Amino acid sequence: MIVFKTFLKVLKSCKTPIIMYTVFLVVFGGLNMQTSDTATSFESTKPDILIINNDEDKGITKNLIDYIKDNSNIIDIKDTEEAINDALFYRDVNYIIYIPDNYREDFLNNKNPKIEIKSTGDYNASLAHMMLEKYVKVANTYNAKLDNEEEIISNINKTLSVKTEIELTSNLDTNNLARATFYYNFMNYSLLAGLVYVICLILSSFNEIKVKKRTIISSMKTSTHNKNLLLSNGLFAIILWIFYVVLGFILLGDIMFTTHGIIYIINSFIFMICSLTIAFLIATLVNNKNAINGIVNVVALGTSFLCGAFVPMEWLPSSVINIAHVLPSYWYIKTNELLKTIEVFNFETLKPIFINMIVILLFTILFIVITNIVSKKKRKIN
Amino acid sequence: MFFHNFKYSLKTLFKNRMLIFWTFAFPIILGTLFNMAFKDIESSEQLDIIDIAIVENEQFNNNEMYKEIFNNLSDKNNEDRLFNINYTTKEEASKLLEDEKVSGYLVYEDGFKIFVKTSGINETILKTVTEEIKQNEIMMNSLTEIEIKNGNYNYEAISNDIMAIIENSEANIEDISSSNLSYTMIEFYTLIAMTCLYGGILGMVALNGCLANMTNNGKRVSVAPIKKSKLIISSLLASYIVQVIGIALLFLYTTFVLKVDYGNNLPLIILLALVGTLAGLALGVFVSAMFKTNENTKTGIIISVTMLGCFLSGMMGITMKYIVDKNVPIINKLNPASMITDGFYSLYYYDTETRYFFNIISLIIFAFILISISIFSLRRQKYDSI
Repeated sequence: MIVFKTFLKVLKSCKTPIIMYTVFLVVFGGLNMQTSDTATSFESTKPDILIINNDEDKGITKNLIDYIKDNSNIIDIKDTEEAINDALFYRDVNYIIYIPDNYREDFLNNKNPKIEIKSTGDYNASLAHMMLEKYVKVANTYNAKLDNEEEIISNINKTLSVKTEIELTSNLDTNNLARATFYYNFMNYSLLAGLVYVICLILSSFNEIKVKKRTIISSMKTSTHNKNLLLSNGLFAIILWIFYVVLGFILLGDIMFTTHGIIYIINSFIFMICSLTIAFLIATLVNNKNAINGIVNVVALGTSFLCGAFVPMEWLPSSVINIAHVLPSYWYIKTNELLKTIEVFNFETLKPIFINMIVILLFTILFIVITNIVSKKKRKIN
Repeated sequence: MFFHNFKYSLKTLFKNRMLIFWTFAFPIILGTLFNMAFKDIESSEQLDIIDIAIVENEQFNNNEMYKEIFNNLSDKNNEDRLFNINYTTKEEASKLLEDEKVSGYLVYEDGFKIFVKTSGINETILKTVTEEIKQNEIMMNSLTEIEIKNGNYNYEAISNDIMAIIENSEANIEDISSSNLSYTMIEFYTLIAMTCLYGGILGMVALNGCLANMTNNGKRVSVAPIKKSKLIISSLLASYIVQVIGIALLFLYTTFVLKVDYGNNLPLIILLALVGTLAGLALGVFVSAMFKTNENTKTGIIISVTMLGCFLSGMMGITMKYIVDKNVPIINKLNPASMITDGFYSLYYYDTETRYFFNIISLIIFAFILISISIFSLRRQKYDSI
């Protein structure tokens, strides 16, 4: 009990970082992604477009704007060139269309007036470009044959109203699954940082030479002392994990009550155990209290960046992914990513998940073995 | 005396391993992580060649035109190649979709029908392209109708004519966007900002060494018969130099190893780095002089202010800076991290220098105010007992 009390005392002194890691988790992992309704029918991606119209809003010009409006999200931005350029840089808009002065007149006179655009060059911008190109091409074609503006417009609209039938074959709740995956991926950071920080601090407090000498000469058996310490740390890890899982239920809602949700939770539990052993290993290696902050940041941020906790795995360069294979976080996050795509649970689909979990457990065993070897060596030196 | 104190301040700062880690090594480690994580983001946001499948049924095989169009769209020699097409049976196609080997598959039975797994950009492009094919057909038909209405019955001439028109109807679009559009650069600019402001810790530690209520060293030098101003200025100069060395290392590393683009105006880049470092120093001096607590709390204050500033200027999510700039611009006008970030951003993205100099002047004002307040609080300090 006395060990546990001391444990709590030290724990109290590190509540600020724990609160901070939790706030990060809630802000970035939970709230960052907007909730949206589950889509059961196909929805076209709509690029964000800004139209600067220097022409009068009528006739063919109006029709062009209406067409773009129907197929994209029109973004409203303060009308200064600086605000517009900022919006483009920060991807508030993907594509800016400058309709020139006198566009309608020039168009009807078959001059094929030049439209200036600004583009971010990403796929949304490419889609916007395809859209604009298509419209102008159709318009030009009809314009070559017809003279009456109204007739041209009605022909354009008739042509462009053709739609292809499209069917969604999967009814996976992708939006919510993506949110859950992101939240649990982010937990890699919060859990690892929280556990490593706390356990390193606590063990180094207990390992301070003066404290240690006093413990050794006390009447308590060393094994009891160690067992209590281990239990307290384990208890803390489990409480932190439960806390994060409960937070997950609050932030993510219904999706956590499905089979997907249960696997997310099991996966994070296994990872929590692994993090615990990582924390013990680091605590055995490092005795300097001042260094803990730096190590926590490097370990937690490093694994999170390398393994795709912050930036989705599919966006990471393959060289980084290759390096990431040697980190347990990679296998943890890989399971979360896999879960996003699994529709039916059977042995075939669950097999890769089991393999990932076994890899994490192997890492756990490895860390325990290394910790034992190192601590034995250290004891001899002392 | 000035040089003596300067020399020893420099030595003490360099020997403080924790300080050196946070101001020298940590930014470099973080920069490396940023680089690993963000290197491919922008290229992965560009349109890739999309894997699709087309069900080879009789109707599709008999339609030479569609076959030709899709061949063209998936031609490896075509610059505008959009698709990588797998011609296969319906079962196989649906299996491919299930395994996410293709974004979607196309069935042609009296019109196109597309099967996809999710709503997304690749799926939208596939849909758009098939619509365009259909729309071209409709366009041909209505143009032919118009011709017939006009009394022209020579089908071959009509069709050739229409083909020529369509060919000549290319849109006249010109891209006038700046080529410097890489938004992940902001991450590295905030990193520089963070390092500049973290440098404040060095200033704080150096100043603590002169304060009688903070360190034993401070007690000793306070009773020494030399001018306080000389003492403090030489200590701060030492910490400023350490800071500048840290920033210089980070610059060299980010420019040559990580290939971060700071724009082309080297003198202005250096000026911004120096002024930014000064702002960091001012922050450190201010915290050290104004808050009467121990060194750890002071460090905590500087780190929290820096991290909050960096958060608002986009370190943990680039759009944050934009959201703040757009909705509550006053916050980032007062935020030194944002001034530094925005300064680099304007050098990189804008051709004009007004915005850059606005940031430089804001930083100088920021540093001036903090240092002035600190001077007032540092003057004529007396202790009856410590």
